[in-house]
Amino acid sequence: MNEAALLDNSLILGAILFGIGMVGMIARRNMIVMFLCAEMMLQGVSVSLVAWGRYHNDFGGQMLVIFILTVAACEAGLALALFVVLFQRSGSLDITYWQELREDNQPAYVDRDVPEAEDAAKVTWPHLAPAGIEPPKNPEKELHRSRV
Amino acid sequence: MSANEHLVYSTVLAALGLWLMLPPSGHRLRAVGMVVAASGFGWLMARMPGMGDWASDAAFWTLAAATIAAAVAAVVSHNPVYCALWFALSLLGTAGVFAVQGAQFLAAATIVVYAGAIVVTFLFVLMLAQPDGTAFYDRVGWGRVTSLLACACPAVIVGVLAMLLAGELPAHEAAAPTAESLAAGVAHGEHVARLGGTLFTQHLVAVELAGTLLLVALVGAVAITAHERQRGSRSDRSGAAMGKGATR
Repeated sequence: MNEAALLDNSLILGAILFGIGMVGMIARRNMIVMFLCAEMMLQGVSVSLVAWGRYHNDFGGQMLVIFILTVAACEAGLALALFVVLFQRSGSLDITYWQELREDNQPAYVDRDVPEAEDAAKVTWPHLAPAGIEPPKNPEKELHRSRV
Repeated sequence: MSANEHLVYSTVLAALGLWLMLPPSGHRLRAVGMVVAASGFGWLMARMPGMGDWASDAAFWTLAAATIAAAVAAVVSHNPVYCALWFALSLLGTAGVFAVQGAQFLAAATIVVYAGAIVVTFLFVLMLAQPDGTAFYDRVGWGRVTSLLACACPAVIVGVLAMLLAGELPAHEAAAPTAESLAAGVAHGEHVARLGGTLFTQHLVAVELAGTLLLVALVGAVAITAHERQRGSRSDRSGAAMGKGATR
């Protein structure tokens, strides 16, 4: 393939990688997976930069990618340290546990219908006879519990 | 069908497939989504400009297809460990694309730094935090509507960029570098020596700054985790003191 076609194909490949990373960043809830998707967006940009550098016959694009690598390594170290601390506080990697940082007038995100696990049908639970007095219910806590 | 219509339909198809594969879909829907997404991305790649000599282009197409397929799998996998592993495969594909473009040092550095260090660190934290694998929030996600919107926005971005590029191809061909100029520049025989020369002469200040940034990030990461550990051990100690008081 000639140089112009190589440039355009690489730019489209970079755009697709960036787009897929963006999908994951928005649509996933696991903090680590979201961060992986951010790294994927960086990869898409890197592919485009290298392609432009070759097209202009200049090392500038590859220089930028080297610095992207450096910054991504710093970012990964800091973010993973942060995730470990957040996990120790909440007991989960779910990003919705941190929605209590939202503004006062925003409604909480609540999981309406959580499907059972794939192998839930195989588990048989013992039947317990009800005993004692039923405690008073707090409807807000039943909908949204921020901590385990 | 005009070139733009091809692009519109292929990006819509790819986005629909991705949406079907994202949580909260079950196995059957994900299989359907996989077929739809594969046909969409295949169509989009077939519309890439400059489809000429298949044999000489095979390396680029294989690497691009592997990169995209692994990236899709990384985004839709329910188990985060599989996400990290698929992401590593996608990184290998990216490194191959770098190598095709003549960036040998970057290809090696991507494998060593990303696949070798960053993904392994991710896996460490995943194993520490989520040893059971799939959790409910990996299976449900944000729900159908949000993930549809999340697929639609990047599809529009990619589609519009591809349309713009399709019109630019003749202009790019006119200004493309020749093989001789490339051999004297980016694709020189002593590629790494040239790259290092540029890096340590024109970008020396940036290299020093990047080194400082790495050190600051290291100290910051240690500070974040050490602070938390101190906090935890202090509460342990107070708990132990309380227990002692109770037994006394």
